[in-house]
Amino acid sequence: MADQKRLLIIDDDPDFVEGIQSILDGAGYAVDVAYNPKTGLQALQSKFYDLLLLDIMMGRGAEGIMIARTMRKDPKLREIPVLIITGIREQIAFLFPGEPVHPRFVAIDELVEKPVEPKLLLEKVSTLIETAEARKAKTG
Amino acid sequence: MEMNPKEKIIIIDDEEVVLDSCTQILQGFNYDISTAPNGSQGLKLVDEIKPDLVFIDLKMPGIPGMDVLEQIHNQDNTIVTIVITGYATVDSAVEAMKKGAYDFLPKPFTPDEFRLITKRGLERRKLVVETITLRREKELLRENFAAIVSHELKSPLSAIQQNLFALSGELAGKLSESQNARLERMKIRIDDLIKLINSWLRVYSVDISKVKDSFSAIQVLTLITKAIESVEPHAIRKDIRLITRIDEQLPPIEGDELSLVEALVNIIGNAVKYSYPESQVTIDSVEKDGMIEIAVSDKGVGIPEDELPNVLSDFYRGKSDDSDESSHGIGLTISRKIIEAHNGTIFVTSKPTVGTTITIRIPILKEVV
Repeated sequence: MADQKRLLIIDDDPDFVEGIQSILDGAGYAVDVAYNPKTGLQALQSKFYDLLLLDIMMGRGAEGIMIARTMRKDPKLREIPVLIITGIREQIAFLFPGEPVHPRFVAIDELVEKPVEPKLLLEKVSTLIETAEARKAKTG
Repeated sequence: MEMNPKEKIIIIDDEEVVLDSCTQILQGFNYDISTAPNGSQGLKLVDEIKPDLVFIDLKMPGIPGMDVLEQIHNQDNTIVTIVITGYATVDSAVEAMKKGAYDFLPKPFTPDEFRLITKRGLERRKLVVETITLRREKELLRENFAAIVSHELKSPLSAIQQNLFALSGELAGKLSESQNARLERMKIRIDDLIKLINSWLRVYSVDISKVKDSFSAIQVLTLITKAIESVEPHAIRKDIRLITRIDEQLPPIEGDELSLVEALVNIIGNAVKYSYPESQVTIDSVEKDGMIEIAVSDKGVGIPEDELPNVLSDFYRGKSDDSDESSHGIGLTISRKIIEAHNGTIFVTSKPTVGTTITIRIPILKEVV
């Protein structure tokens, strides 16, 4: 495929990752995986990705948020669309008191809850990538 | 080894003889006793040593005893205070107790009386402190419960479900009809579990009374229509007709739409669940005595009379006629809490094998004058 989109998943649950990875593989995406925030950030900085699928609760707490914060500060990384996949809606709201349940981490992001139905997952992924590309074409 | 810390008592009285004799009476007990001859020194002592129990003479020169009492409670209302009244002045004793004193001790008193009231005061203090600790622990538990349940239970279930989702896509066309059906059942069962955990989180870690912050005017018809939309697929599966009889021009109620719809979905969903197939569930709504009444009736298995009081309490689980239906017995608890947060009431009437009616009443919106 000439225009194969590259995705990165950062999630510390290998079983869950296999579940979404095989759906994304099946849809023709090239998928990389990082099982912790550190290697995740390294991957983001060393390679171009069309989309990041990001888990929030990893390791000792909301380490996914650290990644989002780092991305927000980086002019290149903050253009990458992010699909936040989380198991805990309540805690997201708790972490951002006073903010709506869906926090805006970067320019283009969306939030879905685990587990996510294949149809919804693929819809969100392609929509986010399209939105990011349209934005790039406009500003770039 | 940790020793029980000595219980700290302060006696504030302008008569030296009272201070001395009180100190003597309590000698031999494991108390740490301090005394002060007036209010201002007494307050300073309270601030310094953080006592468990304070005796305050009501009649003292300088700061009046009643003010000392108030200032102590303003500083720390877990400190137990007992006032000493000079003569049989019941009025001032009553006033002191209104201001938070635990008890009063009329002069003159015997050593036994003093020892007894001291013991009771300290027991009271212990209870107060214990209550506060328990309340704090309960809050902490509630907060942690959300985190533990989400992470330890929901994560593995999500991983399983995600793989079932992936597998059913990858195996499409390769499985026999019955294998496919089993895979679908598995997804449904896992989905039920995840929903159950979400309900628990809703009951135990979300403070439902907070919906009061987002009250607005709501049309009853909208609520019922939205709730029916969500229950209808289940009703169709069991061939149950949903019949609504809603008075036209019902006045709006004041509430939170999302949670009220949730409450109604639970109630109507329950009615469908416990109905005999091919029967009907009716939803009536009328205005009555300043309240909107919504009654949901099924023609189903009903609830035995001795179980009726339990229906709305936590974890009640009825017997569904269709054992395939999952019933968690928590939906009605959530509904009850939501209705109560709306200053409403909910009650159940039922006859076994005939059917059940759940009626909720919610106050109508008061006209803003």
